[in-house]
Parts: sequence; structure tokens; C-alpha cells
Amino acid sequence: MKALRGWLPLGLMTTLIVALGAYAAQHQSAFLTRYNLGNLLLSALPLALVAIGQTNALLVGGFDISVAALMTMCVVTASFTLQPDKSWPVLLAGALAVAGVGFATGVFNATLIRVLRLPSIIATLGTLSILEGASLLLRDHPEGFINPNVIDALNTSVSFVPYAFIGVVVLAVVGDLWLYRTRTGLAMRAVGLDETSSRRVGLATGRTVFLAFIICSLMASVAGFYSAAQVQIGSPIIGNYALESIAAAVLGGASLAGGRGSFVGTLLAALFLTEIDNVLPLFQQPTEYAQMTIGGLILLALVLYQAPELIARFRSTWVGVGRLRAQAEGEAPAG
Amino acid sequence: MLSLGGVSKAFGAVQALRDVSFDCRAGEVHALVGENGSGKSTLLGIASGFLAPDAGTVEIGGRRRRRRSPAEARRFGLGIAYQTYSHVLDLTVAENLYLAVPKDVQPPRHRMEKWAAARLEEFKLELLATAAVGTLSLVQRQLLEVVKALLANPKVLLLDEPTTALGPPEVEQLHKLVLERSRGGVGIVYVSHRLPEVLGIADRVTVLRDGVSQGTFDSAAMSEESLVALMIGRPLQLAFPERDETARPADVLLAVSGLQGDRFGPIDLEVKKGEILGLAGAEGNGQVQFLRALAGVERPSGTASCNGHALNTKSPLSALRAGVVLLSGDRAGESLFPVLSVRANITLQVLRRFEHWGLLRRRQERRTVDELVRRLRIRMASVEQPVQSLSGGNQQKVSLTRPFLRGDVKLILAEEPTQGVDVGARFDIYEALRAKADEGVAIIVKSSDPLELAGLCDRVVVMSRGKIVDEIHGAELGERRIVEAIVGSRVTREKL
Repeated sequence: MKALRGWLPLGLMTTLIVALGAYAAQHQSAFLTRYNLGNLLLSALPLALVAIGQTNALLVGGFDISVAALMTMCVVTASFTLQPDKSWPVLLAGALAVAGVGFATGVFNATLIRVLRLPSIIATLGTLSILEGASLLLRDHPEGFINPNVIDALNTSVSFVPYAFIGVVVLAVVGDLWLYRTRTGLAMRAVGLDETSSRRVGLATGRTVFLAFIICSLMASVAGFYSAAQVQIGSPIIGNYALESIAAAVLGGASLAGGRGSFVGTLLAALFLTEIDNVLPLFQQPTEYAQMTIGGLILLALVLYQAPELIARFRSTWVGVGRLRAQAEGEAPAG
Repeated sequence: MLSLGGVSKAFGAVQALRDVSFDCRAGEVHALVGENGSGKSTLLGIASGFLAPDAGTVEIGGRRRRRRSPAEARRFGLGIAYQTYSHVLDLTVAENLYLAVPKDVQPPRHRMEKWAAARLEEFKLELLATAAVGTLSLVQRQLLEVVKALLANPKVLLLDEPTTALGPPEVEQLHKLVLERSRGGVGIVYVSHRLPEVLGIADRVTVLRDGVSQGTFDSAAMSEESLVALMIGRPLQLAFPERDETARPADVLLAVSGLQGDRFGPIDLEVKKGEILGLAGAEGNGQVQFLRALAGVERPSGTASCNGHALNTKSPLSALRAGVVLLSGDRAGESLFPVLSVRANITLQVLRRFEHWGLLRRRQERRTVDELVRRLRIRMASVEQPVQSLSGGNQQKVSLTRPFLRGDVKLILAEEPTQGVDVGARFDIYEALRAKADEGVAIIVKSSDPLELAGLCDRVVVMSRGKIVDEIHGAELGERRIVEAIVGSRVTREKL
């Protein structure tokens, strides 16, 4: 049962990706072209990266809804520090500045959550507002081009597969090996599942949660680079990544209660969500359908992934009811 | 191995510990006994580093503890088996064991399951290393908790009520384990309510009462009677409302048969109209779960009938409709809305009564509230004050107003009705409950204070390991008799 629960999301996501891909390929020759596939993988990168970060926050039982605003902030920062006329050493420093924004946000969030004991959803909501405001202050309209050399570097591909995508795959696989095959990974899941017990057996619960939120923000800032590569300009408005990243993590098997999740599952789910966005225009369908489909899928996935537990609960309830009935019937003639 | 010197600790106005000294030598089993609320848990919390003492010192293995840190206490060689366990239920037995041991004892991760199976074998625990802890029985969880603490190779081991879920054979198994370790030079601190067990295993006993140490004794020189006398001390002079000793034969109101659920049962019990029944027992023996099952908060199996009709325990609402009111012991969490006013808290459940054309008639509401405030002698500046600004005793009185507003109440289930209430206010609460009983309502009072049960109740049943093991009534009903029943001097003798 336990193994099934772990593999179910991975299997489901793979099936959906292949099924949707096969359907699209059959009806639209434009889908299975190297150009379209390369484009699909590239556009999946920001979501995949930020969702992998989000999985860390979910694993310790939290949320980070400030990721979207952080990505925007990173794009805006990049539009200052990664401008076209800069030399490579300056660009390197500029890239570090973008990552620094991510790191600082992570520390800020983690401090609010662990030191001031705010619920993560409230804490990151505050951070979200601050970052959004700051982005608008720095760029009230899209302005400031991003260095094309940097964009080219980020988008380098072998055949149609971007190097960065290979990197993300390796990251997700290594992440899952860490989570399920090492001591510290086990400790992180334990903290997410039951913080009190974890503290009692001497695990560093505070440090684990701190790290999870810092990694989450760092990943969001890396995702910010790839958003920057896509929009290519300092835009203060970047998509709805907060909810989509949580959606991808949950579809990939993460539990909202903490302690469960898979980086590979998250990556597959991010790929699938992007595939929906990619396929609909090919069929001349409005993209609004994508949003509705994603919402429906999340609900479906939540019900499906919890099915083993739900079935167990129903069964025990029915046993209880059955016992009560049997007793009532057994007593009725006597009384 | 462990030495606490002159430790004091206060929580707000309550002095939980006062200048307590306690030490545990290598190779001895040192028992710590006392009634509920005597400060045992606080003492353990301070020893294990979860609480910081207000005054006094803590030394573990000869090293002085500097700060409040469970991790430091563990480093110094302190192990602890928690009464409420420290398992992560969704992880397997092997994973739980693996996380609980220090890094230098941990095997490589891929050998974890084999290692865990070997350890389970070593401690003669018949468990599957790959089973999730959530699927284990309470007995297995409790034994696993002790094994977990032992695997960390502690110099001193604190066992907090390690036998609450165990039957006699498992208790014996556990004691064998513990004695083996103590002979190996580990200091064992054994906290338990069960005096026969304590006297059977301990070398020395320290008795706590109201946060003050009553002294440390050689257990060979002590009997259960002498320990009980130290635990309860000289009885506090407390007034109780008079009982109607003439005890007219009354109808049975609540009839429970074969009721069982999580942590309790099967239970057979009858309560008459107008009767106050006391529910005694050491904490965690199913009293709370039993009451909650009757109130529909937890789902039991078996049958209960109230006033001749089968009691519907499917939900709190259905129980309430049947006239069963639960007064939860979790005042802030479950029975009050701390930020709402006294008035709102009192009338929230019966607002419809004051409704007129969809609006509340404030004057009528005020009249009802004022009358109750007078009747229960709730002391406050104004009924519009938020409940959280009242003293504990007055908060408790506000939460007790509910059954007084409903005319259809048949059964009141009161969990620790005088918890955190000062002596003066206690009498008001006792009187209010007695007055309700005289109206023909049946009341079950769950209390950890034997003196209160002896004074207030018509009859007391004692629960242990989820079952009713003793019933005390009439002339026999007294504090000492209840405490003796709780610490098991009567029961275990029969069963062992």
C-alpha cells in the first residue's frame, strides 16, 4: 500500500504526458516537431524549477506562495544587472545578485516562520506583497533588456533538449535519491510528518525547516533566470507561478500535510501542465480551458492519491456500523 | 548520573515545583511517584531539557547543563521514553529506530532494515521492521518507545509512565529489560502511578506532592500504604455540597453495555437520574476517550442508551440533541471562544431562543445571562468582557453555564470541572453541579483529584487500561480508597 502510494503519482503523470502527447501527435503534425518539443521543454523550465523548490516547502509541512513574486523580482533585478552591454565578469556578479535576492528572501521567510512562528501561508503572503510592490517600484512598466548572450547561454540545447532541462532531470533524480535513500532525507520527511516526535528523538527540526524555505526561494530565483530568458525584458508581471507550483508538487505526489512528496513526480507534473498549455493552441482552443483542466486535475489527483487511506477509513467505519447493526439485531428479539 | 539540585519552576501563578532535589545513581532504579499534577512531568521536562528551571541546577553524567536544550541533554547521555511516545506514525519501525539513535551507532542507510530487525530480535520484540508504526497496537508502540530510548545507549534513562498500555506479561518483559540495563550501570528514573510495579522494581522512591519533594526512601522500607499516605498528605479542608444520603431509588438514565473504542472498553455501566458518578484513574487510561465516545466526539462500538432510547453517538450534535452535554477539559481549545464576550459565550448555543424576526432581543438575553452569572457567582467587571480576560476559575464557570441554559439536558459529562480553579470557586462549581443533579440530571465527572471525587460524587468507578476495574460507593467512598484503587494495589494483586 505504501509503495503504491509513492509510485502512483509518477505513473499517473507519465501516463497522462504520453497520452496527451500521443493524441496531439496524431491530430496535429505540428506537435511532434523538434521546434515544438524544444519549445515545450524550455517553457517547462521555470515551472519545473520553482515547483521543485516548492516541494521542499511542502515536505516540511509549509507553503511558499511568495515564489511568484520572487521570480518577478528576480526578472526585474536581472533587467538591471544583466543588461546587454555588460562584460562577462560584471554579468557573473549580476547573476550572483539575482541569486542573492532569492537567498535573502528565503532567510526572511524562514525567520518569519521559525523565529516569529507565523503560519507559512500568512508569512509568505506578506513577503509576496512586499516583493510585488518592490518590483513595481523598480519597473512600473516592462523596460530594460536582458543580455542576449545570457539568454542564448541559458537556452543552449543538444538536439532539441536544452542542457538546462537535462540538469533539472538530474537534479530531480538526485533529489529523490537523497529524500528516500539517505539519513538526512529521512530526517526531513520525519520532521514534515510529525514535528513533535522528531524533536523528541533529537532531530534538528528548526534547521530543517529553515533550509527547506531557503532552498525553495533559491530555486525560485533560478526559475527567475529562465523566466527572464523567456520574457527578455524587465517585466513587473510574471505568470501565476505560486499556485501552479503548488499544483505541480501536489500532482507529483506531495502531501499538503507535509512529509510526502517526490521531486521526480513534481518535474513530471510540471511537464504535464506545460504540455496542456502547449497543446491547446494547436487545436485552436482557448487557453482558459487549460486553467479549468488543471483545477479539475488537482482535485482528481488529491482524491485519487488519498484513495488508499479513504478506503481504509470507509472500511473501518463500515465494520463499526456492521458491528452495531449485528448487536442491535441480536438484542432486538431478546428485548 | 542525573542530579537535580534545588529546582523550582512556576507556570504563571502556579508553582509547579518548589526547591526539589533529586538524584539517580548509576545502576539503580529510582522511582518518582506522586498524584496527577504533583509536578512529575515538570521535573521530567526540566531534566530532559524541554523546560528551563526558574532556579536550581541540572547535572547529567557529572556535566552541568547550561541551557534549555533537549539536544544537549541527549549528548550528555540522557535518554527518555515519553508517555505519549515519540514515534513518527507514517514511517516504518526501522526508520523510527534509525532516526532515534545517535549518528555513531547508525548503520549505513541501505542496511537499515537488517540492522533494525537485529535490534528488535535483541530486545525480543516480535515486530516487522518494515511495518509502519501507525499500524502497531498501543502495547507494541509503548515497548518500541522504550527500546528506542535504550538504543541510544543512555547513561541515564527516564521512563515516563512506561506501562499505561501494558498488561501484566508485557510489564514483566519491560521490567526484565530495564533491570538488565540498570545492572549494566545505567541509571533509571521510573515514573509511574502503579505502586506495586514501582515497589517491585525500584531501589529508591522519591515522592512528590504539590510540587514539593516529600523525601527519598529505600523502597524496601516502604509499603503501598505508606507511599499513598505521603502522596496525598494531610487532606486539604475543602467544603462540598451535601449529598442526599437517603438515596431514593431512582430510574436508570444512562445504560452502557459493551461500549468500546480507541483506548477503552468494553465498558458496562449504569448511571441513575440525579446521580453524580465519578470517573477516576491515572491519566491516559481511557477515561477521556470514554466520555468523548458518549458525547459523540469519538466513534465507539457497542451500545449506550439514554432515558430508555438508544443513544446516537454519531456526532456531537446528535448526542447534544439527545440531551448529552460534554464539558470539555480543554477550556481554551474546545469549550470557550476566548476572544468573545462572556455574554456571547454563555448564549451561543441557545441564540435562537432570543430571536425575534431574525434579530436578537438583547434585553432578554441579558436577563438570562445576568441570572446565570449570579447563580454561578462569576466574578468580572462586565458581561461584555472577553472571556480570556477572566481568571481561570471564572472562565471555567462560564464554560459550565451551558447545561443550565438547556432545559432538555439529561446527562452532563464533565471533564476536570475544577481544573486550574481556586478553592473558593470550586465550591460554587460543586454546588452548581449538585443542584443540576437534584433536578434529575445524571452527571459523570472525570477528575484526577481523588479528594474532589470523594467529596462530590455519589459513586466512583476507577478505570485502568481502558476498563472499569473498581467501583466505590457508600461509606467506603474516601480519598484514600480511591488513590489505592488508582495506584492498583487492589487490582494488580488480583490479576498478577
